[in-house]
Amino acid sequence: MLIRLEQVGVDYAVRNRPSRTVLRDVNLVIKPGEFISVVGQTGCGKSTLLRLILGQEQPSSGRVLIDGRERNHPDRDRGYVPQKYSLFPDKTVLQNVIFGLEVAEFGLFNRWTPRYHRRKAEFMEEALATLGQMGLESSDAQKYPSQLSGGMQQRVAIAQALITRPKILLMDEAFSALDPGTRREMQQLLRRVWRESLTTIVFVTHNTYEAVYLGTRVVLLEKNAELGGACVALDIPVPEHEEAAEIEPVVREIEHRDLAVFA
Amino acid sequence: MDVLTLNAKPGRIASWTLSWILFAIGVGAYFLVAQQRHRENPEDRVVPTLEQMAVGLRDAALAPLEDNVPQKLPARFIHSMLWMDTVASAKRFCWAMLLLIPAVILGLHVGTFPYVGAFFLRFILFFDKIIALSVLPILFIAFGIDELSKVMLIVIGVTPTIILDTVNLSKGIPEEQIVKAFTLGAGNFAIAYRVILKQILPRVLNSIRLNLKSVMLFLFAGEMIASTDGLAYRIALLRRSMGMSTIIPYVLWVAFLLFLVDWAMRRANLKLHPWFTE
Repeated sequence: MLIRLEQVGVDYAVRNRPSRTVLRDVNLVIKPGEFISVVGQTGCGKSTLLRLILGQEQPSSGRVLIDGRERNHPDRDRGYVPQKYSLFPDKTVLQNVIFGLEVAEFGLFNRWTPRYHRRKAEFMEEALATLGQMGLESSDAQKYPSQLSGGMQQRVAIAQALITRPKILLMDEAFSALDPGTRREMQQLLRRVWRESLTTIVFVTHNTYEAVYLGTRVVLLEKNAELGGACVALDIPVPEHEEAAEIEPVVREIEHRDLAVFA
Repeated sequence: MDVLTLNAKPGRIASWTLSWILFAIGVGAYFLVAQQRHRENPEDRVVPTLEQMAVGLRDAALAPLEDNVPQKLPARFIHSMLWMDTVASAKRFCWAMLLLIPAVILGLHVGTFPYVGAFFLRFILFFDKIIALSVLPILFIAFGIDELSKVMLIVIGVTPTIILDTVNLSKGIPEEQIVKAFTLGAGNFAIAYRVILKQILPRVLNSIRLNLKSVMLFLFAGEMIASTDGLAYRIALLRRSMGMSTIIPYVLWVAFLLFLVDWAMRRANLKLHPWFTE
């Protein structure tokens, strides 16, 4: 799916005061299969950008087009992995992962049919396979999210989002709460998953290194004093790489630009 | 000794012993007073002795109200005043609890669907401020003095609290959860019931547990003012004859029943929601 942002602006109404501009004149085209990392300082509108693509929020001006159409609701085409609250705490790991398959076929009232039980067995098999790909043991399947570590929880969250085969996966600081070692593992996992699933991924982070390591393209959002809001300050492709050292120049370029704001 | 410090760690036996001291003092003081009063007047009814209360309890719990009841123990208990009063009160209590289910459902919709909220919330907030007991005369006029008005008193007294609590709990579910459910293809009602209601249910049950005393309070008020049976009716009736030897066992029985209900709800909550930790 092609994501196209045209002259997008977002203002938040503030009571009794002039409205606050978050984004201004954002133009961005994301092609199918790309892995876009969005970086920028805290409060520069990274998450807002993600919510716009998700359809959770609408732009105050301009348009957000998904395959040429404006969509103002989150739907099954766009998966979502937030930093916190990504799993349903009342459901086991397995129930969390099959949730997306289940609700697509069964409503609230047709869950007492034999067909439901047959399909559920198939869902569970698929879910266990997906969990396996994410590096989880089948013994973890019956645990509740609160019994898992943060890294495990995010593995489940990715499995849960990917099992419905969304065309776009949106991740908001998904690894930011993890310790460095786990974070590293998760980054490698995500790169592998992205290559295998051919999903478009938009990954928001405040860690430049993570952004460059993961993405095929890095977008830097930056507050622009003239425009009032943030816009795309840098949009650079990342070369194919295996080793961390290969991407050092790109990281340095982005950080140089990012730090220049304070100069 | 670091007794009055914040980080004191009393042992098991010590804290067990300490927790019963006030009970011992209370019971001891009671019987001391009872003994003294009975020395002055053996017929004293205000502070009955253990023997008097045993007799009162036996008359209440084991003496059938009707004739020709078999003399076996269970039958005698089932036809006793205490049991029949308990059943009468329990029926009203259960009706009130049943009517809390629609209250929770309403609260869920008010909290999750903005238009439903816009329609109901202000009215419920207004309703919540009405003192239930102040509308008791209106209820008696409108619904008569039979069962309906007593159940309505409980409903008016307790449901606004439960509804508002459910509203707040459903609004407290993180936005991420709802967005996530939408991206997984869930519809509005699937989210309301399978994501939000399921998550808030243990907290709703706890909120109902906290409100059990209000339920009983309104039940007792209704029964004391207009009723011909029920635990509170009996207590009010016995007051006229200074029947303290039966009133005290009744009060303890009610406390015990309430404790049982609360305990059962707590156990059910733990069993139904193993994931819930608070």
